[in-house]
Parts: sequence; C-alpha cells; structure tokens
Amino acid sequence: MTEATPAPLEIPRRPSGAWRGPVILLAIVAITVVMCLPGIGIGVDLSAIARNWQNGADKIIKLLMPDWSFFPRTLPPLIETLQMAVIATAIGAVISLPLSFWAARATNPNAPARIIVRGILNVIRSVPDLLYAAILVAMVGVGALPGILALLLFNIGIIVKLVSEAIDTNDRGPLEAGRAVGATQTKINRTLALPDAWPAFANQTLYVFELNVRASTVLGLVGAGGMGLLIDAVRTFYRYDQLSLIILEILIVVIVIDLVSDAIRRRLV
Amino acid sequence: MTTVLTPPPAITVIPDRPRRPWLIASWIIVTAIVVLAFWSIDINWARLADLPAEIVRYTFLMFGSPNWEQLPEALWQTWRSIEMAWVGTILGILLATPISLLAARGFGPASLRALLRGLFSLIRAVPEIIIAIVILSVTGLTPFTGALALAINGIGTLGKWGYEAVEAVPSGPIEAARAAGGGTLQVLRWGVWPQVEPAFWSFWLYRFEINVRSSAVLGLIGVGGIGDMLTSYTQYREWSTVGVLLIVVVAVTMLIDAVSGAIRRRIMEGARARVLS
Repeated sequence: MTEATPAPLEIPRRPSGAWRGPVILLAIVAITVVMCLPGIGIGVDLSAIARNWQNGADKIIKLLMPDWSFFPRTLPPLIETLQMAVIATAIGAVISLPLSFWAARATNPNAPARIIVRGILNVIRSVPDLLYAAILVAMVGVGALPGILALLLFNIGIIVKLVSEAIDTNDRGPLEAGRAVGATQTKINRTLALPDAWPAFANQTLYVFELNVRASTVLGLVGAGGMGLLIDAVRTFYRYDQLSLIILEILIVVIVIDLVSDAIRRRLV
Repeated sequence: MTTVLTPPPAITVIPDRPRRPWLIASWIIVTAIVVLAFWSIDINWARLADLPAEIVRYTFLMFGSPNWEQLPEALWQTWRSIEMAWVGTILGILLATPISLLAARGFGPASLRALLRGLFSLIRAVPEIIIAIVILSVTGLTPFTGALALAINGIGTLGKWGYEAVEAVPSGPIEAARAAGGGTLQVLRWGVWPQVEPAFWSFWLYRFEINVRSSAVLGLIGVGGIGDMLTSYTQYREWSTVGVLLIVVVAVTMLIDAVSGAIRRRIMEGARARVLS
C-alpha cells in the first residue's frame, strides 16, 4: 500500500502554434493591402466613388422604378432563355449518364480510361460558361445555339463529377453479388448500379437545371441568345428602368424554378 | 425443452411490381416540356452538321501554334482577375459575417432574421455580372467594381452558409459561456467561434475558388482581367492568342482549386481530429 503523493501542481503549457493565427491574419491583411494599391493592385479609388455618387444615385432611383411598358419586349427573350436551359439540361443529362458510369471506380474497373475521362472533364469544368459562350459565338455565330453548347459543356462537367462520386459512395454489395453470379461489367452496371444511381442522377440534373436558368439569363451578353442580349442592349443606353424590370423577371423565374425543383427533390429523395 | 419452430410457408406469390403513378406522370411532363422546347426554339439545327469539322478547325487554330508572346500579358491580366477575386472575397467576408450572425437563430431579432434570409436568397438569384452592371454607374469600369460585385454576391452565399453553420453548433459551449456571465459578443467569441471556425475558413476558401471563376467572367463587361482580354481577342478572331488565354485560364483555375482544396481538406480534417481526441 503506497500513499498517493499529490503531484506538484503544474499548469499545462500553452499549446504550441499559438503564433500561427496572428501570422496568418497578418499575411492576409498584407496581401489585401498590396492588392488594393494602384499599379500592382486593382487600385481602390474611393474618391471616384464619392465623385460619381450623384450619377449613381440617379441610376439607382431609376432602378427602383421599373418601366412596365417594356414587359412585352422581354417575353420572347425570357422564353428563349428557358428553352435554352431545358434543352441544354436534357441533352447534358443524356450524355452525362453513360459518362458518369465511365468515370466511377465502382462501374469502370479500367483505371486508365477512368482517369482520361476525369481529366478531360476537370479541364472542361475549369472554364466558366460565359467564356465558352464568347468563343462559341465566334465559332458558330450569334443565337441560341452557342448558348446551348456552352451550357452543355458546363452541364456535362458538373453532372458527371457529382453522379460518378455518388456511384462510388453507393453500397458495393449488390455489385459484388452481381459479379459473384458471373455477370459482365455491363450487365452489372445496367441492372444493379443504374437503379442505385437514379436518385443522385435526377437530383443533380435538377440542380444543373437551376444553374442553367441562372446562367442562361446572362449568356446573351456575349451574343449567345436569351435574356442577356436584351440586358446588353439596355445597358448600353443606360436604361436602368428597363434593366430593373429584367432583373425582376430573372428573380421571379429563378425563385419559382428553385421552389418547384425543391418540391420535386423532396419527393425524389 | 426445445420447441421446434415450423419454417414459415414458402412464398409462392411474387409481389406486385411497385406502381408509381406519380413517377410516370412526372416523366410524361418532363418529356413534354423538353419536346416543346426543342420544337419551339428558333435554331437552325442544320448548322450543327458542320459543327464537328468547325470544332476541329478552331481547335487547330487555337492550339496549333499558340502565340506565346502574349503569355506575359495574359499572366498579368490573370493576376488582376485573382486580385479582384481576393479583394471581393475579403470584402464579402467582412460584410457577410456580421450579417450572417444576425440572421442566425438565437443571435438576432426574429423579424430581422426573416428579412436577412430573404435578402440572401434574393442576392443568390442574381448573377454577379448583373450586380456589376448595376454598380458600375457608381464605381466606373474598374477592377474594383468587379471586386465589389463579387463581394455583394458573396453576401448571399457566405451569409447562408454562415447562419446554417452557427445554428448547427452544439449548444453546450454557448450555454456554458452564458452561464459564466458572458454577453452576446462573449458568447459568440467563446461559445460559437471556436466551434464554427474551421467551417468558416473552409467556406471562405471555397468562396475564393468561386470568385476566381467569376472574376474571369466579369471581364466581359470591361472591368478588366483575363475575361476582358479573352473577349477582345475573340472579337479580333486572333485564335492563336485565344488558345494561350484558354490554357492560362484552365491552368490557373485548376492550380488554385487544387491548393485551396488541399488547405480546406486539412482544416476540416484537423477539426475532426480535435473533436475525436
């Protein structure tokens, strides 16, 4: 029996690395300051804002008074915008489904093929859709077609990434069972992996549709059809009263579509 | 004593296939919408026929002999775009963080909460390029306009993520801070902030990644940066330069995504490790 001697009271040392927070903060502040300087940075000129304030205030007052008589002219572009979003989503979904199976480890054991598909899609995803649209307009001419093609590239990039990740996180049991009874990879994918991938696929397609409605409203800024053409026209004439009507319409369409697809998503999942 | 269990009678009737009329109806509706869109849109589909040949031709024009002399200018403009994205992110953080706290349940007045949440979803519905068009009448065609547009757009996303993260926090530490006599600010500092810090850093980095992409797009309306350069050279149809610009955009975006993604993963893994230990 030993008497428990009380250990000498000792305050634990402060965890090391406490210097890290302030240093990171300081570095961030320094970078921000450099980036705000004129010359090397973007040159934040607050005095210009003060000078332009009156001019801007007029525009903002105009923004608050939408020109309702402009409404009939906004309808055809608005419909074209929705058409572009629907078509691009539909084609994108059809192309993406097989590609997703190609890019997922569970459904394509062939590593080189998988890596090639994923690599190409990573490159495709890193270019914003408006830049695609700008280039495609120069290639195939002004109109809805380059817009749809730009959205299509964007859609395939996103759907394949998200769905192939979903396929990889799905339960492998059924696939192993399929393999055990001697099915080929194609049969396994079609009869076992596909039903499991459906909800994720439908979900991501809806998500992409929402993004497309939002994106297609501005694609016209580079000539790719839809609402953006009109935005470009009214902005060159500084018709901010008409611009505000367009923004209002975009807001309503986007919010309605978000609500509808949210409702559908709840039924799906 | 053992009781012999009789095996359950074998099932001989195959269960009915599940019937899902709702699913069939939605399929019909979706098909109808898609067919209608295809049928009604004003597109000369014949142009699609020579698209493959055109793509090959333009790919060759762009990447056959890229005009590397434009590389320094392209990198400089990319730097501008990144600056726009960075300043936009920082401004967005400064604006969005206090607002998102006000919008969180338990920290702001209820009436203000609904208002702010509405504001967040409103901002998220407007593309950032439209925000830029609206504010450029005040700020002019400068990169700062781009940064400001990104910051305002960031309020929508950062605000939403912020209040969701604050509300999802376990309430123990908050109660402890309150029990020790902390005021709202002290509760936020010692009860909430240590719990949400990793998530916030991760949101901020992710927002920076988004802003890098968007800043390239904002160039289209003339606020400067790589997007500005890309649209001008596309309009001049100088494809050998456009090729270089595209390569730069892809390389820089992928690099920034990779670095920021790695940092985010480390932050979140560190957070998990701290919870477990």
